Amino acid sequence: MFAIGVIGFVTRRNMIVIFLCTELMFQGVAINLIAFSRFTGNLAGQAFVIFVLVIAASEASLALGLVILLFRQKNTLDADAWRDLKW
Amino acid sequence: MLGALSTLQLLADAGSQDELLKPLTILFLCLAGGIGTFLLLPGRKTSPKMGGVVLAVTLLSLAMILFRLTAGRASSEVGPYFWIFSAIALVGAARVITHPRPVYSALYFVLTVFASAGLFILMYAEFMAAALVLIYAGAILITYVFVIMLAASAQTVGDRSPLAGLAECDTVSREPFMACCVGFALMGVLLFVIFDKADQMPPLAAAPAPSASTSESEAAHGSTQSIGIYLFDNQIVNLELSGLILTVSMVGAIVIARRRVVGIDQRFEPSSEMISATATPVNDDPRSIPVYGTTDPSQKAYPEN
Repeated sequence: MFAIGVIGFVTRRNMIVIFLCTELMFQGVAINLIAFSRFTGNLAGQAFVIFVLVIAASEASLALGLVILLFRQKNTLDADAWRDLKW
Repeated sequence: MLGALSTLQLLADAGSQDELLKPLTILFLCLAGGIGTFLLLPGRKTSPKMGGVVLAVTLLSLAMILFRLTAGRASSEVGPYFWIFSAIALVGAARVITHPRPVYSALYFVLTVFASAGLFILMYAEFMAAALVLIYAGAILITYVFVIMLAASAQTVGDRSPLAGLAECDTVSREPFMACCVGFALMGVLLFVIFDKADQMPPLAAAPAPSASTSESEAAHGSTQSIGIYLFDNQIVNLELSGLILTVSMVGAIVIARRRVVGIDQRFEPSSEMISATATPVNDDPRSIPVYGTTDPSQKAYPEN
C-alpha cells in the first residue's frame, strides 16, 4: 500500500490527488505500526499511530489551504502549472 | 504490503522458515503488478481493463501462494476476515491512484480507510480503529471532498463520454512507466527482505509471551484505557507537542486560506515596445517617475510620504 501511494504521488498531476496519496502512505505505515505493536506486545506502536494521525490531520489542513491558494492563483489544479518553480 | 505483513506474521508465529517464496516468484509478481498498474493509470493509449485484469490475476496468485503457505499452520490471527479486509484495502488503494476523477478517488480512499479500520480491529486496536474512522473518514476526507468540489472545473453538460469535463491533468498521468518501475522495485525489495529476514528476528519470534500478558492487562483495563495510561506515562511531552502542532496548523491553514491573492495573469505585463523605450524622465524634475501614456505631472510626482 505504501508502494501504491508512492506511485500515485509521483504519477498523478492533480494536486489534491497527490495529497491523497500521501494519506495512503500514512495508512500503510499505520497498519505496519499497529501490527508490530501487536506482535511485540507493547503499546508504543499504537501511541505512534496516534501521532501519525495528528500529523496527518495538520498536514491535510495546511496542504488543502495551500491548494486553495494555488488554485486561486492559476485557476487549475495541474501541478505542472507550477513548473516554473523548478528553476 | 499487507500480504507481506501477513506472511511475516505467520513466520513469526510458526518460527520456521520452510517453503519460503522464491525470489523469482517475488520478482515475477512485482513485474506483473507493475505492468497492471501501468496499464491502469490514466493515460492516452493504455487500456485500463487489461491492466485491471493483470492486477487482479497478480493479486489472486499472491493470495494463492500465501494461502498455500498458511495451510497447515494453526494461527488464530489470520482468519478469512483478514484476507477480505486486505483485499478491499488493496483494491481501494489501487483505485485511489488510478481513478481519473478526484471525487471518486476520495471515496475509494474512504473505502480503504474502513478496510484498514477493520484490520486494526482484528489486531485488537479498537481505539485506533475508531480514531481512524473518525479522523480520516470523518474529518480529513470531508475536507478533501469540499476542496475538490470548490476547485472543480465546470463540467460540460450533456457529454456522456466517461472522461467528459475532466481537465487534461486528470486524464493524462505523468511518467507512469518510471513511477511503476520505481514503486514496484521498492515493493519487491521490501518483500524480499521481509521474506528473507523474517526468521532472523528473535524478538518477533518470541512475541507471543509478552502479548499474552498485555492481553491480560487489557482484559483488566481495556485497550483504550491502557493506551491512555501509556500515553500519559511515557509520551507526555509528545502528546503536548502534538496538541501544539494541531493548534499551529489550524491557525496556519486559516491564515493561508484567507489571504487574498492577485491573479498572476492579471498582473502588469510589459509589451515589447514598452521595454524598448528608454525610461527617462519627461520633465526636468529629477524626482519624477517615468510614467508612460500621460502628460499630467501629478501622476509623475514622487509620493512624498
